[in-house]
Amino acid sequence: MTTPLRHPRLHVDWTRCDGHGLCARLLAERVMLDEWGFPIVAGELDDAELVAAARLAARSCPALALRVETGAQG
Amino acid sequence: MTMATPETVRALALGASRLLAGTDEGSPRSYRHHRDVHGDLSTMDKRALVDALAAVGMRGRGGAAFPVAEKLSSTAAGRGTEVVVNLSEGEPASHKDRVLALTAPHLVIDGALVVAGALRTSRVSIGVRDAAAERSLRLALGERRDARAVRLLPAPDAFVAGEARAVLRSLEGQPAVPPGRRVLPSVAGVRGRPTFISNAETFAHIGLLGAHGVAWYGEIGGVSERGTTLLTLIGDVPDVGVVEVPLGTPLVDIVGPGSGPVLVGGYHGTWLGSVDGLQLDRSELHRRGVHLGAGVIARLPEDACALSEVAGVMRWLADESAGQCGPCFFGLPALAGDLADLSAGRLPVAGFEGLQRRLAVIPGRGACTHPDGAVMFARSALAALQPEVAEHLAHGGCGRAHVGVLPLDTTSEVSR
Repeated sequence: MTTPLRHPRLHVDWTRCDGHGLCARLLAERVMLDEWGFPIVAGELDDAELVAAARLAARSCPALALRVETGAQG
Repeated sequence: MTMATPETVRALALGASRLLAGTDEGSPRSYRHHRDVHGDLSTMDKRALVDALAAVGMRGRGGAAFPVAEKLSSTAAGRGTEVVVNLSEGEPASHKDRVLALTAPHLVIDGALVVAGALRTSRVSIGVRDAAAERSLRLALGERRDARAVRLLPAPDAFVAGEARAVLRSLEGQPAVPPGRRVLPSVAGVRGRPTFISNAETFAHIGLLGAHGVAWYGEIGGVSERGTTLLTLIGDVPDVGVVEVPLGTPLVDIVGPGSGPVLVGGYHGTWLGSVDGLQLDRSELHRRGVHLGAGVIARLPEDACALSEVAGVMRWLADESAGQCGPCFFGLPALAGDLADLSAGRLPVAGFEGLQRRLAVIPGRGACTHPDGAVMFARSALAALQPEVAEHLAHGGCGRAHVGVLPLDTTSEVSR
């Protein structure tokens, strides 16, 4: 399925995420941590600054658990 | 509670005997008898089969209820394509696939061959966990000349291992847990090849379609989907065990006149205080927030403490986490603890509010739908059992005992 997204989206590979929490620091407007330290991603990356912060978070994640999805692959 | 597996397996047809036609008291018939009952199997090309599946509105019987026509349509045909029958039946309360394997294995094989023919492949595998089911299928395969290439492979014994992609991974020798990236098997399944994987009962219905055609298949059923379906009925119901029922049947005709709460859809399912006005129709049930899942329907006896049943199942669900994803691995045990406390009458109001918050944040944050299903089970219980919840919060209990109606052991068998 290849439906393009309206805005890019931060995708979490949950089998890799280990609750390091860098994403919540780098993208505080869109990511908060639950009581066990795992990210709750809320809202879209609807401006360029948010997309840039998301890309930085994806590069910085120690577990390589993050990916910025643009909808090119459903 | 572990009960011995009965020697014979019985299933009941309530209103229509199609999957169960020609079967008798659980012993499988010979291949010749099977062909006498169902006639010859006709092969169909992919386009014809897709149209037939769409015409009858067939949905998968493994729990996700994906439209089968769409799944087939999106699977590329060719020599490398794989057809996989999922007979791992990981839900402890469900016995329908096992019963199917023991009473009508040839229908399952028929369906697999029909799909393989349409996809122009000879790569067919059956992933099976239960030893008796495996024996039955092996004998059935041995009787047929058209099924020489069908492989029987062991599927591991765990709830999430029954999830389609986990089954595919176990067929490749990898750990039987759902993968982190969501790629559909029809695109890349076994060893990256296009793979059509579906529940064993789905294949049995495809076998019926291949033998009898669309007109016959469509003679009975519900508005959005024709035909029959297998259910596993548990607890205070007129017919305990596996039953075949036409789609569209009112639920009250299936669960009977008891007044205890009803669980529709097993342990990833939905609790209801009443089934009035509901029919066995997935689309309609879905619109009302009820998920039939793999067809387990239970009614608790009036003298059972429902919250203790819920707490027991939540503990089991927590233990069945694959352990790959934080929100599930930590969240489900926390929920189980909260529900155990609630059941035991030691959950304070603040704890109840914490439980609600956890239920809100856990879904959608995992590699598979196990946490989502578990939350659905818990949430619907709290909604349907409000009076009992209030009693436990206010008075520490409801005065009813723990009965243990809902099975938690995959080796237990509901005997009739």
